Amino acid sequence: MSPDPRGPDTTPPPTTAPPPTQSPGPTPSPRSATLARLLIRLYPRAFRDAHGQEMEHLFRVRLGRSTGPVSRMGVWVRLVADTIENAWVLRRRARHQSRQRGEEGAMNTLIHDTRQALRHLLRAPAFGVAAVALLAVGLGANITVFTLVDAMLFRPLPWDDPDRVVMVYQDSDDGEPNSSSFPAYRDMADSDVFAEVSAMSPAFAAITWESPEGPLDLAAEYATASYLDAVGLAPLRGRWFAPEHDRVGSEPVAVISEAAWRKVMGNDPDVVGRVIRLNGQSVRIIGVGPREISGSYPPRTTDLWLSISSTPLSGPFRVSNLDRRSDHWYDVRARLAENTTVEQAQAAMDALAARLAENFPEFNRGRDITVFRSSDVRIHPGEDGSLFLIGGLLLSVVVVVLLLTCANLANLLLVRGLGRSGEMAIRRALGASRLRVARLFLLESMILAVAGGVAGLALARWAVGMIPSLPIPVPGWDHVELLFDTRVVLFAGGLVVVTGVLFGLAPAVRSAGADVAGSLRDERRGSSMGGATRRLRDALVVVQVAASLVLVLGTGLLARSLSALQSLDPGLDADRVAWVRADLGRAGLEADELRIAVDEMIENVESMPGVTGAAVTTRLPAQGGGSTTTVVEDYTPPTGTDAVELAFAVVSAEYFRTLGVPVVAGRTFGPDDSPDGPASIMVNEAAARRFWGGAQQALGRRTRSQGGSAWRTVVGVVGDSPVSTLSESTRPIMYFFSGQRAPSSFYVVTRTDGDPSALLSPVREGLAALRSSVNITGQGTLAGWLGEGLAAPRFAAGMMGAFSLLALLLAGLGIYAVVAFSVARRTAELGIRIALGAGRDRVTRMVVREVVGTVGLGVLAGLVLARLAATRLDGLLFGVNSTDPLTFLGAAAFLVTVGVVAAWVPARRAARTDPVEAMRGV
Amino acid sequence: MAPDPSALPLRPAVLHILLALSTGDLHGLGIADAAEAVSEGTVELGPGTLYRSLSEMSDAGLVQMVAAPGPEADPRRKYYRITPSGQAVLADEVARLERLVGAVRSRNVRPETA
Repeated sequence: MSPDPRGPDTTPPPTTAPPPTQSPGPTPSPRSATLARLLIRLYPRAFRDAHGQEMEHLFRVRLGRSTGPVSRMGVWVRLVADTIENAWVLRRRARHQSRQRGEEGAMNTLIHDTRQALRHLLRAPAFGVAAVALLAVGLGANITVFTLVDAMLFRPLPWDDPDRVVMVYQDSDDGEPNSSSFPAYRDMADSDVFAEVSAMSPAFAAITWESPEGPLDLAAEYATASYLDAVGLAPLRGRWFAPEHDRVGSEPVAVISEAAWRKVMGNDPDVVGRVIRLNGQSVRIIGVGPREISGSYPPRTTDLWLSISSTPLSGPFRVSNLDRRSDHWYDVRARLAENTTVEQAQAAMDALAARLAENFPEFNRGRDITVFRSSDVRIHPGEDGSLFLIGGLLLSVVVVVLLLTCANLANLLLVRGLGRSGEMAIRRALGASRLRVARLFLLESMILAVAGGVAGLALARWAVGMIPSLPIPVPGWDHVELLFDTRVVLFAGGLVVVTGVLFGLAPAVRSAGADVAGSLRDERRGSSMGGATRRLRDALVVVQVAASLVLVLGTGLLARSLSALQSLDPGLDADRVAWVRADLGRAGLEADELRIAVDEMIENVESMPGVTGAAVTTRLPAQGGGSTTTVVEDYTPPTGTDAVELAFAVVSAEYFRTLGVPVVAGRTFGPDDSPDGPASIMVNEAAARRFWGGAQQALGRRTRSQGGSAWRTVVGVVGDSPVSTLSESTRPIMYFFSGQRAPSSFYVVTRTDGDPSALLSPVREGLAALRSSVNITGQGTLAGWLGEGLAAPRFAAGMMGAFSLLALLLAGLGIYAVVAFSVARRTAELGIRIALGAGRDRVTRMVVREVVGTVGLGVLAGLVLARLAATRLDGLLFGVNSTDPLTFLGAAAFLVTVGVVAAWVPARRAARTDPVEAMRGV
Repeated sequence: MAPDPSALPLRPAVLHILLALSTGDLHGLGIADAAEAVSEGTVELGPGTLYRSLSEMSDAGLVQMVAAPGPEADPRRKYYRITPSGQAVLADEVARLERLVGAVRSRNVRPETA
């Protein structure tokens, strides 16, 4: 074949070459496209710029033409081989050319310096490993806490156009924005400032699903039909509730959350339409919830959303509160109507509040309605405060730890930098710029930071998985969902950069700024710590001591609070008491039948061998539970409203005797309190004192439910015992009588002479034998239950303690390093002193004394900082003041001791040196 | 330094590129397809080999980049044209190969399947 030149505008014959516009075949997957781009990145930059796009095109065509996985594999193998061969040749050639031209691009210098920094680090691997380990702990703790705090406070809500979504809250009895009553929600829904108005409410108690594998407790939220429209989301499968589901009486239906569908229902493809038994009643699942949300109160998740028509699952009380203006159980989320501002919506709600106050003065006088932008509310205005407290506290603790780590590493790098000051001076003398020298140090710290960051991410990933099982005092904590995603990795990346600069900057600036001639001179003399470096290192020690002191003090306060809680007199005798939680809800009993059933159960358990007392209650001591808006006779609440929010429990006659709670005035419940007679109540001393001035004065006084007309009379007063939490024993509570108001779900408590846990299974079996419809949903001993109440403070103190220990270790190490380095430099001087007759003890003391000043400064700074920070702990402390002088003194003394010990060890070693040996170096 | 692509014997990739361009202007994919067609599927120019050779050949003046040849051509692609010196190199190589084949034949060595 001979050459056959053609003109520029002729097209090639299709026999030998296909036309250039030929279709490249099917487009390969995005993953192959990424891989192709990665392969192309192996070529030198100039080549890539010239041919990269064309090569990518060719990759795509080749892959597109392959048919089937085997041929595809073959294509890949050839493409990879081709890339390796040519990229290697081209790269080698490019490097050769640039070297010949004597050019060193900025990138090449950087690579060169990085390689040098790496080599330097690898020369002392122990230092590198220690630094990376320290950074991994510091960064890992920060990443973990960020993941948590981000989920609690910052992660944006996945709603459509969230700026148009508002949260509407009625005031609580205390005059603070809080949840709304269901009738008030209906009034809000009538307003034309909103396009959609929805209400939701957690089911509070778990809903029991009679699954094929046995009973299973599910977390549930009630929600109205308008919920998804209000937040602009759509169900993944099936549909959401329809308006007819918004009233009790129509069919009870549920929407299962996407996560529960996966985990609990095993991705059942026929889940929509499935009828399941919940709390003994049939409920039809009509849809799977949106993928974007896993609950209405993130990071808490829910398994089910229940329609308002499913409310009977949670009992008759919950049904009746749908019509009561006194019960505020619902959170309203609404979407603003077109062209309506938040201010206009607020004005409309002000008008509604005024109208409600006029129409229903008893419930709504002085009760405002507030419209919040969705970005201003996290979970609920009443809960956001404690979230921010816990989140802020956690963040500050880990930031302090990271700061300490940085200070320590900066110190260690300074020491290493001193050893290299000669090398750096030579570099400078040979023409390296200050910037280049500083960069060498910064690169070293960056490499350490990146390695620490990667290890920290791995550590955090593990720790984040543990979080839901930690005893954090937030309701629904076991249902939190934490995402470990790009957001977290981006945060980690940013943190790594900041950290690397933070601990690398001081040594970098120090070495770059060093005076060349002076350093070279010093290098020869073997002494190289200038005054500036010395001051810098002292400052770092001050920072470390101060930060450690803050953490030690926090630990001290939390530990004292814990011990105060442990030694607290609970006002009851918790030993030898067992409890079994029973539920008669699915039996569908009328009130009278329920009362008889409950009485039968008590009698049955009482007659068991070893049982010395038996009773029922709807809430155990130190357990959160229901409260109700109550009008108290002869008492005007300071808030100016007519009523108070009062905690309550329903108990049987022998409850107080069984738990060892003394009756201090009047009598306990008994036969006089007949089911049809006037209602009797008992109160604790705290209530009697608060409302009527004392136990005796309380007898015969009355309370009624807000909006109700039936008064109930106080027949007895009992001693105080923990109501909602262990640390809250003086909270008022009122007790109803199970003989007048039988509960369907309750705890059976029993006292015994022997081991209470031995009672658990006979009681359980006895109850089941008595009523086959009873559902046993929990059991334990009272002592164990109260011990669980200490889990949260114990965890807080433990966590703080662990971080303080780490901080102390770091600070001690820092002090040790400073002293060790300083005495090593002064060996000759110390030798002369010893030779001249100074005792070894005296020399040791002299060295230690020099450090004590620095430590003392750190302690002072730490005390000031701690005084400012400790007030943040106030909400978590019990029985100890956040300014407790004893704890402050103790923490300060402790740190001074640690400082002295850390200094004494190297000082002692220095004083032991043989003066002749020491002076030989002079 | 890059090896001279015009040195004889030509590298197979260089020979195939010159051969493909000898019938008209083509872009990279067109060259690869033509080489595959001419060799009855035995030569598959990988992207690296193809563009590395093209860049070396362009440096050596054997090919040059040109505008898209016509309205039906893909304007996003880069087109290459063989230069007179490229044609000369191709001619030399073909002559060399012809001599080689002639020499083989004169010694009565034939492939078994011929």
